[in-house]
This record gives sequence, structure tokens and C-alpha cells, in this order.
Amino acid sequence: MARREKSDVSRRDVVKMAGASGIAGLAGVTGSASAQEYPPIGNFPIQGEAATFGFTVPQSGPYSSEGQDELRAYKLAVEHLNSGGGWVDSWDGLSGNGVLDKEIDFVSGDTATDADQARQTARRMIQRDQAIMLSGGSSSAVAIAIQELCQREKVQYQCCLTHSNETTGKNCVRYSFREMFNAYMTAQALVPPVTKEYGNDQQFYQLYADYTWGKTVESSVQKFFSEAGWSQINSVATPLGTKDFSSYLSQVPRQETDVLFLDHYGLDGANSLSQAISMGLDNDMEIIVPLYNRPMAQAAAGAIEGVFGTVAWDSQIDNKPSNDFTQAFQDKYARIPSGPAQLAYAQTLQYAAAVERAGTFYPPEVIKQLEGYEYDNFGMGPELMRKCDHQALRAVPVVKGLPEDQQQQGQYFEIVNLTPRDQIGYACDEGPAARCDLGSYE
Amino acid sequence: MSVLAEVVTVLLNGLQQGAIYVLVAIGLSIILGTLKFVNFAHGALYLIGTYAGLLITLEINVTDGKLADWGYATIGLGWGFLAALIIVPIIVFGVGLLMERFVARPFYDRPDTDQILLTFGLAIVIQEVFKILFGGQSYNFARPGWASGQVGLPIIGTFPEWRLYIIGITAAVVVLVYGLIEYTDFGLVVRAGTRDAEMVELLGIKLSRPYLMVFGVGAALAGVAGVVGGPLYAVNPNIGTEVLVPSFLVVVIGGVGSIAGAVLGGILIGETLAVLVAVAPQWSQVGIYVLAAVVLLARPQGLLGSEEVAP
Repeated sequence: MARREKSDVSRRDVVKMAGASGIAGLAGVTGSASAQEYPPIGNFPIQGEAATFGFTVPQSGPYSSEGQDELRAYKLAVEHLNSGGGWVDSWDGLSGNGVLDKEIDFVSGDTATDADQARQTARRMIQRDQAIMLSGGSSSAVAIAIQELCQREKVQYQCCLTHSNETTGKNCVRYSFREMFNAYMTAQALVPPVTKEYGNDQQFYQLYADYTWGKTVESSVQKFFSEAGWSQINSVATPLGTKDFSSYLSQVPRQETDVLFLDHYGLDGANSLSQAISMGLDNDMEIIVPLYNRPMAQAAAGAIEGVFGTVAWDSQIDNKPSNDFTQAFQDKYARIPSGPAQLAYAQTLQYAAAVERAGTFYPPEVIKQLEGYEYDNFGMGPELMRKCDHQALRAVPVVKGLPEDQQQQGQYFEIVNLTPRDQIGYACDEGPAARCDLGSYE
Repeated sequence: MSVLAEVVTVLLNGLQQGAIYVLVAIGLSIILGTLKFVNFAHGALYLIGTYAGLLITLEINVTDGKLADWGYATIGLGWGFLAALIIVPIIVFGVGLLMERFVARPFYDRPDTDQILLTFGLAIVIQEVFKILFGGQSYNFARPGWASGQVGLPIIGTFPEWRLYIIGITAAVVVLVYGLIEYTDFGLVVRAGTRDAEMVELLGIKLSRPYLMVFGVGAALAGVAGVVGGPLYAVNPNIGTEVLVPSFLVVVIGGVGSIAGAVLGGILIGETLAVLVAVAPQWSQVGIYVLAAVVLLARPQGLLGSEEVAP
């Protein structure tokens, strides 16, 4: 396996070297400035008239409905980049006529929310389809697997939905950027509104999904709520894919527990929350789900009423970029976009804009354009894509679930607080960033 | 919570979790014991039961999948849960009859491996059809209003009412099926056919019709399990596969063809899960397989299975 990978890479490099030197030999005739200035790397220089983006989304498995919404947004982004519309019209530096005069083409592939399958899909996009950039979600294990591959292959990866601290912490890479906040920031964002509502001296209990994401949520919640004066009674790991949480939930001591954190995502979250409500735990304590998503809210329905959490983005955020995106998405698909869809759309445009600023698709230059980049076009207020760990510093929407009779198609939460970025985050030498070593540009 | 209250809670949790497996496993077990047919599509019958129950009970909003594309944004009858509990077993019974006639019957004399490949493939096809129609999203199957609260119990305080109903409905269904097999002429023919099919046919009794019925009844039980289990978990196209493996373990532990065995196996699996979650959560998933392995080593025909009827 390793030998084949190696020979694939070198064969591709040989072809590219030949292509590049051929073009260099014809310099002046083709006028290809980038090929003259920069050496071949990854899938640069782009062969042909179109630049190919690769979208790795879950099209089967429990997250397939999220994946479908992401894919809709990716297609919309490509359409806008090629023909104008949406954010492209108001984004300085994006022409609506392709990117650097190249038409944008795309391929999509299934990750099945499985790291091994995701890696194969990504490798196929890089080697067969010659993708210049990959983007996708929605599992931290998948994102970490793909970004490691992208670093090796020198192809840029724009993370979509991945929330583990480790994506831009100990597993960070130079070739990947994350717009989404992480578990650490979720806990920071939750503390002010939650302690304001429930008080400063509470006892809490956690159930968490037993893998990289759940563990980082558990440790982050424990850290920040303990610092705020709360005390943890216990935290219990539940295997990923547990359906029946009743035995775990009946272990929660009702008399002592004031707040129960259910650190579960997707289907597991929908099941654990619904079951907690049906067991009447909400009569004895408050419940918090640190990270929400829409399919999960849909599946849990009335059980999310009054339950705090954070979301990637929500269509109710009322500012121009958010409204423009919601409108464009609705015009095209007659449906309200989900948080992951907004991330997918924005990540594609962020990359395209960075290419335009760099004046080349040469990955190290594009990366440098994104590092330390300050912007205000994402619908979350001013943001910074930090250079030291490629983690965006941004506001985090804290939400509360709506009662079932107020839930509508695509709207399940009320926004309690858009916690501004200066109240959350961490320095480059602390928190998850302290363990990040980005690796080389070339 | 006192130790006694904790023990009773864990036992009740186990009983309830086991109940769903009992319902699915009885069907599997009588089909395997009587017809010698390994039905990996039995989980798909549970899936059909759950979606049918959902659509009869409620009106749901469909946002993904072909139904949404075709303009069916809201579907479902909204007739309530009791209607579903009566209609769904009839529907799934019908599906079972079709499955027996067109899928199972041509394969009765084929090796187990052929039957497994066929039914496993069928299960995937059914699962994917649901995914295409309803999308991969999960739906909330709300509990019926009359059973959505808590019920006060001595010692432990409160327990979710719906979970008690599941235990009750399962017990009633088990008694019914047991009566059908043990105390009716139909049951007599089935039991005789299980022992010696050739001799029964020599006596002039045609077995194809009772066999068809056995398949239908087994399927209907999976349908009942789908309806009563539906409100416990979010509903999506993968639930059939998820319920199949533990149910096979129940059959293995209890003994093929034995209704009492399926009940015992189901309770053992449910209790093993519940007790391990309480004392050693990290072992809870492994525990049921260890239990099955131990039973297989000590008593290969299962706890209440007899060697003659084991396939």
C-alpha cells in the first residue's frame, strides 16, 4: 500500500514537472506567469482550463442529510464563483467569472462519516481528479484524517464542520484551515449566559461520547464551568452509537445534580436528549447540549425546548452576509440553509478570495494569504484566521431550543447570545494551540 | 438513591431493553426453527414496521429524499398510536407473506449461505429504498400523549410510562403467540412439521400453508416491535440493521425455535446491558457477545433449545 502511494505521487510529480518545464519552455507564448515563478507542488500548476475543487461530504450513514445540505451549499458556491450571485457580488476581489480566469469545476465524494473511507475518497480526488482544494465535514475524526493526507500531498483543505479541539490543536497541519469554533470555545461561550441563568454555584454531571470529539468537549466543559465556580459530580463515557441511554441516565443522581451536560452529537444527541426528557430528568435539573445541529434538533423535536447549546451558524442571525446567503440558498433550493451549509459555502469562497489575493493557485502563497487574515464577511462580525494554528477567532452563537409548536421548517432555536470573539479564544501558547505544530509550507 | 432502588431501576431498564429484542427474536426464532430459513431481512421488517407506525400515528415533515422532491412536504395519517398498533402488524404480516412466497420459498432447499446472502441483500435494498424516499434524516416518533409522562412506582419513585407499556405489550404478545403455537390445531401442525415434515406430509397435511402463516406471524411480530420501539429512539433507515444483531444473539442464547428461549435470551441480554452500564460502562457493548459466547460453549443448542430442532 505504502509503496503504491509513493509511486503514485512520484508519477504525478514527474508528469507535472514535465508539464511545467514544457510550459516554461514556451514562456512568452503561453504567458503563464505562475508556472514560471513557482515550482510544481501538490496539484499545482493546474492542467487545463478549469480548476477542480473536491468536496468530501457524508452521503451515506447517519450524517447523510447534513452532507446533502453541505453539498447543496458547495454547488451554490461554485455556481456563484463562475457566474456571480450570492456573496460573490459583494465580495471585493471575487469577479463572478471564475477564479484567476479559470473556471471552477468540482467533484464530490462520500466519506460515510468513516475516516478510512474518507481518506480513500480524498486520495482519489487528489490523484485522479487533480483537485487543487478539498473541503468537507462533518466529523472530527474524518477531518483529521483528510487534513493529514492533504498535508502530505500538499493540497489545501478547508474544514467544514469539525469541532474537536484537536483539529487545530495537536493534529493541526499547515494545509488546513478551520472556520468552525471548537469545543474549548463552546464551553467558553456557554459560561456567561448559562451561569447568568442558572447561578454561580451549581453541581453538574456529564455524559460524553467516547471518542476524540466527546473527550475534548468533556474536558473543556469541566475546565471552564469549574473555573466559573461550578463543581462536577461525575462524568461518564458512553460508547459512540449508543441508542438506549436510559441505563446511563438513571445513574444520574437526581437530588444532587443541578445541571446535566449531554456531550453527544447527531443521532446520539437526539436519542440521549429525548430519553432524558422522557425520564423526567428535566423536572429535577437543567439540561445542556454543548453542540447542536439541525438534523439533531429535528429528530429530538420538542425535547430541545429551553435547552442551551451552540450552533455553527443560524439563519436567524440578522446581518447582511447572513441574510444574503439565506436568500441565495432559498432562491436556489426553496429551503432554509443549515449551519454546516453556511460553513461549506463560506469556506469555498474564502479559499477563492485568497487565491485572487495571492494572484496564483500556488498553495504556499494561498496559505500565506489566509494566515493572519482579518475579515468581516462571514456573518459573524469581525474575524481573524490565526496564523499560529489556522483556527478562526470568531463569535459563537449560543442558542436555546424552541418549543415544538414554535419550531418551523429550518428554525429550531432562538439565539440567546452571539458571544463576541474577544470573550472567547486562547493565546497561541495556551489551550489546544499550545500543542499545535503546523508543519512545512512546501 | 438507595441501593435497593438502584437495583430495581437497573432491572426494570434491562427488562424494557430486552423486551424489544424479545419481540424481534421470537419471529426470527420460529422462522428459523420451523422453516430452517435464516432471515437476515428480519431487521428490515422492523424498519418497515417503525416507518409504517410513524406514518399512521403522526403527520411528519419530510425535508430530504425523493418524497420531498415530489412535493410531499407533509405526509402521514395522524390517526394516533392505537390505530398504528392494530394496522401495522397487519401490514407487516402481508409483507411477510409476500416475502415467504417470492423470496424465502424458492430458497428453502438451498444452503444457509445462499439464504444469508439473499436476505442480507434484500435488507440493504429495503434500507436504501427508505433512504431514497425519506432521506437519511432522523424523525422524531413522539410517544402517545397518554403514555408520555412518568409513572410513580414504589421503591424507585418514577419510571417513564412508555417503557412500562412496552414491557406490558411484549408480555401480552408473547402469551398470545405461545398460545397460538402450543394450544391450537395450527400450532400442532407447525410443531409436528418442525419435528418431521416428511411424516406430516405423508399423513396428508400440506405444510406450505402453515409455513406461510409462520412467516407472516414472525413478520407481524417484528412489525409490533417496530411500532412499540419506534418512540424510544430517533427513526432513520439504519434502525433495522441495528436491531438485527442483538436479536440474533437472543436466538442463539435462548435456543432456535423456542419461544420461551427467546424470552429468556432477551431478558438476559437486556439485563446484561443494563447491569454493565451501571457497574462498568466501557464493557457494556462487549458484554452481550461474551454472554453469547459463553452460552454457545456450554450449551451449543442454546439455553432452552433442543438438539433435534437446531438447524
